[in-house]
Amino acid sequence: MKIKLIHLTRPLLLVTATILLAAEMISCNHASPGKRQFFVAFSQANNAEPYRSAQNELMTRLFARAGDVKLVIADAQQDNSKQVAQVETFIRQHPDLLIVAPNERAALTAVMGEAMAQKIPVICLERDIMQPNYTTLVHSNNLVIGRMAGEFIRDYLAGKYKQPKGTVVEMQGLLGVEAAMNRHKGAADVFAQYPDIRIIANPVADWIQARAKDRMTEVLRGHASIDVVYAHNDPMAVGAYLAAKELGREREMIFVGVDGLGGPAGGIKKVQDGILAATFVYPLCVEKTVEVGLKMLRDPNFHPEKEYSVSPQLVTPQNAPELYKPTGQNQ
Amino acid sequence: MTPPAIAGAGAVWKRISAQNRDVLKSVGALAAICLFAALLSPRAGDGSYIFLQLGNLTDILRQVSIVGIISLAMNFVILTGGIDLSVGSILALSTTVVALVLTKWQPGLSDSSEIALGVLAALAISTASGALSGAVIAIFDVQPFVVTLAGMIGIRGLAKWLSNNANVDVGFGQDVASTFASVFRGKAVTIGCYAVLASLFAVLLGRTVFGRYVRAVGDNERAALYAGLPIRRVKLWVYSLSGLLSGFAGLLYAAENHQGNPNAGVGYELDAIAAVVIGGTQLSGGKGTILGTIVGTLMIGVLTNMLRLNNVDSNVEMMIKGGIIVLAVAVQKQGKRAG
Repeated sequence: MKIKLIHLTRPLLLVTATILLAAEMISCNHASPGKRQFFVAFSQANNAEPYRSAQNELMTRLFARAGDVKLVIADAQQDNSKQVAQVETFIRQHPDLLIVAPNERAALTAVMGEAMAQKIPVICLERDIMQPNYTTLVHSNNLVIGRMAGEFIRDYLAGKYKQPKGTVVEMQGLLGVEAAMNRHKGAADVFAQYPDIRIIANPVADWIQARAKDRMTEVLRGHASIDVVYAHNDPMAVGAYLAAKELGREREMIFVGVDGLGGPAGGIKKVQDGILAATFVYPLCVEKTVEVGLKMLRDPNFHPEKEYSVSPQLVTPQNAPELYKPTGQNQ
Repeated sequence: MTPPAIAGAGAVWKRISAQNRDVLKSVGALAAICLFAALLSPRAGDGSYIFLQLGNLTDILRQVSIVGIISLAMNFVILTGGIDLSVGSILALSTTVVALVLTKWQPGLSDSSEIALGVLAALAISTASGALSGAVIAIFDVQPFVVTLAGMIGIRGLAKWLSNNANVDVGFGQDVASTFASVFRGKAVTIGCYAVLASLFAVLLGRTVFGRYVRAVGDNERAALYAGLPIRRVKLWVYSLSGLLSGFAGLLYAAENHQGNPNAGVGYELDAIAAVVIGGTQLSGGKGTILGTIVGTLMIGVLTNMLRLNNVDSNVEMMIKGGIIVLAVAVQKQGKRAG
């Protein structure tokens, strides 16, 4: 009997020990008491994307510099339900400021409305939602990026053939996402004026480099002559490049991406290395977010604009070296 | 010397059936986690514990409902000694079908009949998907892992093909699709659906002949065969039920997220399996209860909520969850050996 009881108590001890360990980890996360600290909650769509981890890194740095802000970042791992749940939990904690980078437009609309209803100031970062359930929206303009990309491609083709004509492969991001829609539309608006510029394929690679390589391989098998690959982000442009290189056709065409992140894996380095002909810096929008956010926190009389637009920048081999920063973000 | 009081408690503990002992242990662990969550909970502005707020507790229930519903049927599947990897894809298919029917099809019916048709279409195709897997498993005697892995890939493809890769936005207007979303996304509706289905499945497993057959097939398939049990029919049924419930979860997902999403539910099969396993059901089949599965689901939900309320890093959150799964199974093993 005695032995059996010991057998039963051991697992209970194990459970208790684990929970205590968890509790210890949690208590380390509590802020130290002191002067008035603002609690800023940031719901990030997916830490695994380089663009988004760069956002996290910069935001952490800038808010730390502010001194009076405790920033908490939750990662939704590209899952709508998870992000809704995380925002709900943030609402319960009633942060002084809620920042949401929505994973998808429709899914976050209602819960952000709930935050607004609870009188929590909300900054919607980068990706718009279906209804204006935010205090302010800080974003860049993908339509302008698309147009700039379209014009760059038109000028390149005009230089190559003495007139704007040629074949373009458009590698698309996650369909239904604002960035993919507008990066497409901006370029499409430009191409529409030049009937000799033809989109010969528009595969979907969901922002992912490996998938882009596979999709591009299929396109290359089907088309003997390609002038330009326009990808909605840099990793997909690099994926397309790798596919072409594998078939020995990478000199036949140029690769144009979007995002222009810094660091050795980012798009600016790829332009410097001659892999991409151009990329467009899609700004992280974090500097503006922190600037506006701090004003909202510290000054009760400050009323932000409904929308702040941060402008994109063209990166070519000429200006890439000066824009490139080996470690940090390009902002 | 064993003190008489402890010896007495030991005797009482011994008299409880092994299965109920497991359930009691799981409930005890859940209670312990809840207690810790309450103790560690940050305070709201008025000094109350945020964890214990009714709003927060119902948040947890709503958040676990979708995977909770899937794991009810997953428990049946695992009890037969099988596994269903296709549930996340079926969920995605269901969200897509209901959203497509409600947004792209104008039959000129009343809103309620069109919603009923959309819901029925989604449930029918989900159940059919599950039944197809079940039929292959039962008739051709192929391993469930392989068949449902194929289902997971193929059904995801079907969902993406139907929706042309794009999300089908349900919108926020006054149209029939928006009405569907606003009805089904209610917290009470979601939690209510989970509660009703959980009760139904608990009765189905615990109090019906079918439930006994499910356990018997997983416990010892050969013995069940010699006893003349309809093994094939039982297998067909459990995978059909799994499809049905995954489809139902898809309806709730579509309403909650205001979209049909062919990329939804990736990894949900693993969440559901985790809930079932934490709840004490053995992967080899035969032993387990619905109450255990519910407890397993709630444990993950409460744990997630506790860690999120305390703003624990999400990577640490994953590590803790991994540890809890191993621990839960280890504790059950320990109990078995001791008993």
